Amino acid sequence: MDYPEHLKYSSEHEWVAVDGTRARIGITDYAQDALGDVVFVSLPAVGTPVVAHASCAEVESTKSVSEIYAPVSGEVVEVNAALETAPEQVNADPYGDGWIFVVELRDPAELDALMDASAYRTMVEEA
Amino acid sequence: MAPSWRLVDDLGTRRDAAGQMAADLALADSVAAGGPPVLRGYRWTPPALTLGRFQSEADVDRDACARWGVEVVTRPTGGRALLHGGDLTYAVALPPPAGAAGTVDATYRWIAGGLVAGLAALGVEAAVACGIGPGSAVCLVTQQGADLRVGDRKVCGSAQVRRRGVVLQHGSILLERLDFDETDLVTGGGDRERLRRSTVTLGELGAPTDPAVVFAALVQGFREALDVDLSLR
Repeated sequence: MDYPEHLKYSSEHEWVAVDGTRARIGITDYAQDALGDVVFVSLPAVGTPVVAHASCAEVESTKSVSEIYAPVSGEVVEVNAALETAPEQVNADPYGDGWIFVVELRDPAELDALMDASAYRTMVEEA
Repeated sequence: MAPSWRLVDDLGTRRDAAGQMAADLALADSVAAGGPPVLRGYRWTPPALTLGRFQSEADVDRDACARWGVEVVTRPTGGRALLHGGDLTYAVALPPPAGAAGTVDATYRWIAGGLVAGLAALGVEAAVACGIGPGSAVCLVTQQGADLRVGDRKVCGSAQVRRRGVVLQHGSILLERLDFDETDLVTGGGDRERLRRSTVTLGELGAPTDPAVVFAALVQGFREALDVDLSLR
């Protein structure tokens, strides 16, 4: 299981890559493994306001449909449209080509509530 | 003490297909609001074709559905088209346990324990089959995350959604076949013989098909195998 050091993590198994006032978001290696083969990603529309811990997208795998929660509040400014035709990228490269959306942060202080790689690894492995 | 669950016996409750899906979502909402886990049993009158959450409407032959008097509704759960009418449908809503016991696989397996125990009481030796077969627009032809099989034939298919922190899983236990099946209702629905070969009904297994008897067995199976206190509330 991979937990890149430069990312922040939510307890709902999303990762966040911060770049200035923007946060790129996807689901973690653990999450994609638990979901199984992803067959569809329902992306939020660009411009959608999102609230931390509220559902903003859905992932269908061969096993289930699962909500994706926004780890931070803000506005969706970019989505990974490539997932519309290649949802399997979420499995193949969860921290790279499998990214899901980018949020313009409303309150960068919310990032402080997220976990670092070590804390997230502990949460996953000790549960 | 066994955890307390709510039992909803909707075998005699008439709802249209959209109403059945709304009722399942209401179970999940009740759990999200802090209510106890729930097991519900229900049937479909008239028959209905349910589509997976993101399945294309283009998969449905609307004229054929109208001809057979079949309603069409989209499920909140994933997967492919499934015909209801000759089945007993169960729905379970519960907060997933923390950690490894709460994963999709683990919750499927745990709920399957109750279903398998219930079917065993009816003389049906079913087993969990995990694995993904070749894709098809028809649910019963495609192996999902956790089917219950007798030999290599599916007797129960289940699907799961996770919303608002709650697992909602519903599934269809085949009691008897109708005069038509998914291959009549889905465009390019495929091979009827393949569908028949890959599925089996309780009736074909010589087991009881009375929905009340089957649901009572499931309830008892959940009580014993999952150690839950299920009572009508």
